[in-house]
Amino acid sequence: MTFLTPQFFCFFPVTALVFFLLPQRARNPWLLLASWFFYLCAKPIYLTFLLFTIAASYLTGRLLERSRRKGALASCLVILGLLLFVFKYLNFALSLVGRGLNLLGFSFSTPVLDILLPVGISFYLFQAMGYVIDVYRDKVPAERNLLLYALFLSFFPHIVSGPIDRADQLLPQFKVEHRFDWDEFRAGLFRFLWGAFKKLVLADRLAVLVNTVFSAPQDFGALQLAGAAVAFSLQLYCDFSSYSDMALGTARAMGFTLMENFRIPFFSRSIAEFWRRWHMSLSFWFRDYLYIPLGGSRKGTVRKYLNVLIVFAVSGLWHGAAMTFVVWGLLNGLYQVIGGVTAPLRGRLHSVLRLKEDGWPLRLWQIFCTFLLATAAFVFFKAGSVSTGLDMLSGMLHGPLWVFTSMGLDRWELLAALFGLVVLLAVDLRSVNHDITADYLSAPRLVRWLVLWFLLFSCVVLGSYGAGYDAQSFIYGFSF
Amino acid sequence: MKSRFLRRELPLAAVFLLITALLLNFVSDVLRPAHTDYGSTWSAFRAEPEDSLDVIYLGSSYAYCDFNPSIVYDSSGLTGYVMAGSEQTLSITYWYLKEAFQTQSPSAVVLEATSLFFAQYQNYTQLNIDLMPFSPNKLGAIFTAAEPDLRTGLLFDLWFYHGRWPEIRPADIKRALFPIQRDYLKGFTAIDEVKEGVGVEPYVADREVSDEDYAANLSWLRKILDLCEEHGATPIITFNPTYTRCTQETYERIGQEILALDENVIFCNWSEMFEEIGLVPTAHLYDGGHLNQDGAAVFSAWLGEFLSEEVGLVPREQAADNTAHWQESAQWWKDYLAQ
Repeated sequence: MTFLTPQFFCFFPVTALVFFLLPQRARNPWLLLASWFFYLCAKPIYLTFLLFTIAASYLTGRLLERSRRKGALASCLVILGLLLFVFKYLNFALSLVGRGLNLLGFSFSTPVLDILLPVGISFYLFQAMGYVIDVYRDKVPAERNLLLYALFLSFFPHIVSGPIDRADQLLPQFKVEHRFDWDEFRAGLFRFLWGAFKKLVLADRLAVLVNTVFSAPQDFGALQLAGAAVAFSLQLYCDFSSYSDMALGTARAMGFTLMENFRIPFFSRSIAEFWRRWHMSLSFWFRDYLYIPLGGSRKGTVRKYLNVLIVFAVSGLWHGAAMTFVVWGLLNGLYQVIGGVTAPLRGRLHSVLRLKEDGWPLRLWQIFCTFLLATAAFVFFKAGSVSTGLDMLSGMLHGPLWVFTSMGLDRWELLAALFGLVVLLAVDLRSVNHDITADYLSAPRLVRWLVLWFLLFSCVVLGSYGAGYDAQSFIYGFSF
Repeated sequence: MKSRFLRRELPLAAVFLLITALLLNFVSDVLRPAHTDYGSTWSAFRAEPEDSLDVIYLGSSYAYCDFNPSIVYDSSGLTGYVMAGSEQTLSITYWYLKEAFQTQSPSAVVLEATSLFFAQYQNYTQLNIDLMPFSPNKLGAIFTAAEPDLRTGLLFDLWFYHGRWPEIRPADIKRALFPIQRDYLKGFTAIDEVKEGVGVEPYVADREVSDEDYAANLSWLRKILDLCEEHGATPIITFNPTYTRCTQETYERIGQEILALDENVIFCNWSEMFEEIGLVPTAHLYDGGHLNQDGAAVFSAWLGEFLSEEVGLVPREQAADNTAHWQESAQWWKDYLAQ
């Protein structure tokens, strides 16, 4: 089960209603049961891996509480890492080995193992790893209550696609009473609806254009390829941030606060800033549990840049077992290294040109450049192979400007996408200095109702769902 | 907080939800395509005055192509309406009849029975069920007669039609605001065509249906007959004149099976009765199976006489305006067919 399905629209009201009706001591068991049911709807076998992860990380946490043994931590991390490797990377690793052996002159046909990737494994394994590391670091006490710990990993809003929450932030929330709060409830539902708007009106509509162009880049002109690349950046943002909005919204409706995952990333002025605003729960995870242990910026500039490249290569690999993701990650790392190296030079250039660091012209220029760089890298995220990605980029520079062929969306669909983008831009601009949900809550009732109707009817009329539409799965959904 | 919520916010939230539901319903009505023939004409059916219909005609396309209620009226004074649907299964027909009984109390129910040969699900479930008015009967049809993967759309029909938004014109909004009024079709579908080569030789072969589906169809037929008995309507089960027919042995067997379900059923195998009725196959068939509008006129005039003289149906008393409406409708058809 995932959000925006009829099953979820039955599941969530029942879960939330029973949650608030039950006495406090029965609420967490109920949430755990509901979360497991939510997860079981994907495929029953997947629950086995989740239960194993819960058991392994819980026991390690208890063990580390008694004595801070590095071996116990390492064993747990290796076991969890191995689990991720087997399910997500084994085929990729075998194909690399095969290619390597073939290059060395050995004849090796790579076997393709039929391995099902358990839903959400990349998210809950990272959450479990973060927990045991935090316990080892004495940042959080080991959770003694197995039920609470199981709920921490299984909580249905984040189990499939995150955010990757932290124990010190989420576990205490399961220990306090959540009285029904009308404001929190409607704030949560409002956020869910905004997420639905981004997914239904924008992401899945842009996906049609993106898929059409990326599946045959040679058939399109330079402007069309560039347009598709830009459309993919926007699609990915709308798709993933919509899931996060819906996850945070459902949790908030029940009184829980999950970690924010996006903070208007396309308004970033550098790639480094972009990664502090894009998939924040993963970026911060890598910062805290990989970049800093590698030495961070404490061991000199060269080592710092090397660490950045390592982190982004691993981050790329986390997103998918393919060279395209590694290239995407490394490109983002390289951008930051180049950005760091050229920072003094650019500073001097700004002085010569008399551009104020906080002035609008420079800001807009930096935002524009960051968007272009991120978009160029996202081409590899989307492309089926590195060569397709290179073809796309090359086509933007060398091909004909425009080829008169359908890009998958008709005039009306493009207008609907444009409408959605205007709304998105307006909301994101407002979000720079305002909390949109707080704005919504403080607005007069009639305005609130109009906003809800606007979003709801945009979704049900303009949304990509139902018969005749190729509704897309969440990009960060069942293949992570 | 709690008391403020209960006193003020909860009722207002209910008002918001109610208005939202009404708006959603309106938007559904606007986006749903207009449908006035080829079956499932619920909108015009509901515009008929309550308890004004003497006969309800049910079945598949064989019903809406062959029965012209206005011509039946002209020859017998019996009012009627075709509540059929394309490839409509007997399970859907059962819910149609149940819904029709909500507003009408016909003296007879005429069911064209080709649907006994249909599979559990045919090709037009969406259209046949979606246009039913929202009611427990529609829910019954959705959950007992529709493919499971259609249920979401049948419960929330913007699922099927929301993509029509670029095609919306003022007429669609007008139709949603002022639902279709009574028409002269009465559920009939007029086809002004004879396909090439039709009517020369009948195609005779038994239709294929699995034992399981046939048994299920008989079980739904039994429910239809029970419904007729409950409402005091005479069930008349027919196989209409057609050049795509089963063997006569099969029709006889089916007749016996139906009479075994209910001995009060009037079973009529008219599949070969072209000459007796006055039908000319090369002129009155549309394709191998269905009658065209001229054939339907001949057949319906004959049917009117059959229903009054053989079955003994007596037209009910009608309000003056309704009588005028039926007379206008009959005259309109006579003029139209004479062109």
